[in-house]
Amino acid sequence: MTKLKRMLLAAALGLPFAGQAMAQTKIEGLHVWTSASEVGALKVITDKLKTMGFEWQDSAVGGANGANAQQALRTRVAAGNPPAVMQFLGFEGLGWAKEGVLRSLNDLYAKNNWKAALPPVMLQFLQQDDAFFSTPINMHRQNWVWANKSVFDKAGIAIPTSWDELIASAEKLKAIGVTPIAMSDESWQIEELFESMLIDVNGPDFYKKAAIDLDETALSSPEMIKTFELLGKVRGLHDAGFTGRDWAAATNLVANGQAGMQIMGDWAKGEFLAKGMKPGVDFLCFPTPTATPNYKFVFDTFGGFKIKNADIEKGQDAVAEAIMDPEVQKKFNLIKGSIPARLDVAMDDFDDCAKRSFSDRVAAIKNNAIYGSLTDGFAVEPRFSGVFQDVVGKFFVTDMSAEDAVKSLVDGINNAR
Amino acid sequence: MATNAASFRRQHRIGRAVIYGSLFFMAAFYLMPLWVMITTSVKHLDEIYAGSFIGLPQQITFDAWRTAWSEACNGTACRGLKPYFINSLLLTIPAVIMSTGIGAINGYVITKWRFPGSNVIFGLLLFGCFLPFQAVILPMAQTLGMLGLAGSLPGLVLVHTVYGIAFTTLFFRNYFVSIPDELVRAAKIDGAGFIRIFVSIMLPAALPIIVVSCIWQFTQIWNDYLFGASFTAGENAPITVALNNIVNVSMGRKEYNVDMAAAMIAALPTLFVYVVAGRYFVRGLTAGAVKG
Amino acid sequence: MSRSTPLSNRIENWLPRLVLAPSLLVVLVAVYLFICWTGWISLSSSMIVPKYDFVGLNQYVRLWSTPRWHTAVFNLFVFSTLFLALTTGLGLLMAILLDQKIRVEGTLRAIFLYPMALSFIVTGTAWKWILNPALGVQKVVNDLGWTSFVFDWIAQPTFAIYCVVIAAVWQSTGFAMAIFLAGLRGIDNSVIKAAQIEGASLPRIYRTIVVPMLRPAFLSVIVLLSYIAIKSFDLILALTNTGPGSATEMPSTFMYSATFRRDQMGVGAASAMMMLMTVAAIIVPYLYSELKESRDGH
Repeated sequence: MTKLKRMLLAAALGLPFAGQAMAQTKIEGLHVWTSASEVGALKVITDKLKTMGFEWQDSAVGGANGANAQQALRTRVAAGNPPAVMQFLGFEGLGWAKEGVLRSLNDLYAKNNWKAALPPVMLQFLQQDDAFFSTPINMHRQNWVWANKSVFDKAGIAIPTSWDELIASAEKLKAIGVTPIAMSDESWQIEELFESMLIDVNGPDFYKKAAIDLDETALSSPEMIKTFELLGKVRGLHDAGFTGRDWAAATNLVANGQAGMQIMGDWAKGEFLAKGMKPGVDFLCFPTPTATPNYKFVFDTFGGFKIKNADIEKGQDAVAEAIMDPEVQKKFNLIKGSIPARLDVAMDDFDDCAKRSFSDRVAAIKNNAIYGSLTDGFAVEPRFSGVFQDVVGKFFVTDMSAEDAVKSLVDGINNAR
Repeated sequence: MATNAASFRRQHRIGRAVIYGSLFFMAAFYLMPLWVMITTSVKHLDEIYAGSFIGLPQQITFDAWRTAWSEACNGTACRGLKPYFINSLLLTIPAVIMSTGIGAINGYVITKWRFPGSNVIFGLLLFGCFLPFQAVILPMAQTLGMLGLAGSLPGLVLVHTVYGIAFTTLFFRNYFVSIPDELVRAAKIDGAGFIRIFVSIMLPAALPIIVVSCIWQFTQIWNDYLFGASFTAGENAPITVALNNIVNVSMGRKEYNVDMAAAMIAALPTLFVYVVAGRYFVRGLTAGAVKG
Repeated sequence: MSRSTPLSNRIENWLPRLVLAPSLLVVLVAVYLFICWTGWISLSSSMIVPKYDFVGLNQYVRLWSTPRWHTAVFNLFVFSTLFLALTTGLGLLMAILLDQKIRVEGTLRAIFLYPMALSFIVTGTAWKWILNPALGVQKVVNDLGWTSFVFDWIAQPTFAIYCVVIAAVWQSTGFAMAIFLAGLRGIDNSVIKAAQIEGASLPRIYRTIVVPMLRPAFLSVIVLLSYIAIKSFDLILALTNTGPGSATEMPSTFMYSATFRRDQMGVGAASAMMMLMTVAAIIVPYLYSELKESRDGH
């Protein structure tokens, strides 16, 4: 509808009309962010959108590790009523792009030269058949250890340099009456631990072969058995209350000094910061111990669905531009606990953990040691990563042998191919 | 004789004590989760994180209730549960009325105007009770899209009505079966028609089962999450979807006291219905729902 | 009936059918057509969106080679059996006790009935804490001095499903109680009085006279509880989220994760068809016998 027509219509209907009365176009975004820090971070984007003349219409669907949102999205697409923009993690966006329902952002990418501003490893999750379909806002690092400094000091533990050392230090923690590792029996939380071991012990190349290429020889190799055996050593190092525990509750055990450490992505950092604890002073953040330094990433992107409406298309472009704005990326990540997706954002205002993450990322890119996280859907498609989760989760809570675990992993992967 | 009576009385007293004892024991067990929810909702968050999950609160605060009602964030919209509470009312009331009304008419036809095949139709309807709803989400979404009702409250009302028919028809059919056919036959001879008989004979007699059907449907629809999350979005979402977003924080600090207060608020209407109408519920069931 | 039936009479004859037609049509589409659609998808290679090709029984083969599906089927069997038995038994006991002219009957009835009003999204967290060995019952009992008391079923893969049963029984017993209570109130008191005069003890009267008279109530309870058992979905997600280590997976949660989380829509549809066939195998004979009986009755 042209402006003139709209004015005529308004006049005909006797509606009050003023230039300002044209409401801002609403852009609906479907996402899984529901916690205070996530929503606070999202507000940075939506505030920016407002200055660009678009109103963010929020559709949050949280829970079930994103399954609820995925279900909502599938029904919306089936009904021919997709949201204007959707949050994608890992392979989710690629799946939809393959179906040809996502809008290409190639013009914007070319115009702003965004490709050069992003880590090359990200690009494979942003484009399908040479068409960019989404823009990344952040990057989380998955392989972190979070430790309580005073507990570590009291037990006389230095930052471990290998997994064996880390597990050995657990005895010292037990000796002073502290739960060595704060964790949960939720399969995905156990898998966070497992995938760190997988890459730390066997090196990035092996991780690529086993967890990304799903190479059958690598999957059934002695290295794999070794990794499960290492995970098995952690079985007795948690407390009895780990059943169904929220990861944030586990983080709080570390913050309170009831537990020594937690292996979790850097979304855990916010829990310490919220208590006024300072990195390096009150709590420690260090990468999971390894002889072959590596970086495992998780990041959030937003992509737009093809909707035949020029206003909405403009809005989708605005969302992409807002997300790629360096200032927005900085403010967003200061709240969210991650680091900017863009490589060219100044890190001065960030805390030490974030700075470490940023510099480690630069190094890992150079060394080809940066890979997507298996647990969070950046290594393989969901039907495969689900198998890892099933096997690892079951292995940990039962007395399954490492050999059996490897066998059911291989069978499961082959069954899902 | 006197001793006999005394021993009988003593036996009787012991019997009563056992009955009351077991009833109160069960009541305590049944109240346990409610107790946990209420005490948690009036605790400070720090107290909970310090490890006090089940005990009495050291200090009572109603902040969590206020937050849950008017401030808690569902995504970036921090308006508490209030708007979604209203959505749920707007959705549940018409869906309950429609599904109960349709069930009443269906039950009436199936019992009092039997025709060849009416029993088969009843069987077909009844099987719908046992359909796992997860299996119909996608085709239903396509259908709603074709009808232009995708993502709207009317669409959700339609879905709940459709899948409610099976149960309401069952309720009314079982109830109307017990009303003597002679009554209807006599009315027919008097010249009353299909609609007249329904309105002036069946409906007035059906009050108890209407209560049962309404309570059942109200509980089912108010507590539904799956359809709500599938067929509405954003501002149109029912309270269970908003509650889920408040409770299921994916990455971040769980505010257990707000979660519990929000859960209590979301449960208030159904609790109210059961506590207030509970007596009528049992009475309605007595009046006929259990007569297969 | 004469041939010259007036028009209004003929409308009257057709009206019942016309009134029933919309319901029938809607149910044919929303239940049976959708089942056909699911059946079709289960024979296709659909992954993230529906695809209408044909791959034979591949998805069924894949489904049955998935260990998690075996767990799900086994759990459904264990859960349904225990849930039906316990809920029916406990509900009957409650109803009989409440029927003994109890002074606070109204309050007690409300207490037993209220869980039915809550959805598991609401009570899941409370139950999680109560069953958690480090926070709930075990801790409370340990703190009271019985330090060797252990109740950690929810952490044990082989026992976690029983925790689901406990919570489900808690939620639904009130409903069974209400139906039984209604049934008991419908029984003529003089029958019991007569038996009492003949010297029969109360438990015996219930066992041999009253309970058999509750047959219709039993049928209603079992139909409604089977419905609840098959639909148990929120319950699992809220209480155990299928853990520990997929030990409490159920067909409904399996279908959901296959379709909506793992992009295996074909496998999800195959599991839905398996569920439907199981339901049909149990319900259809029951429906048939019930409806046949009512037809014979009239």
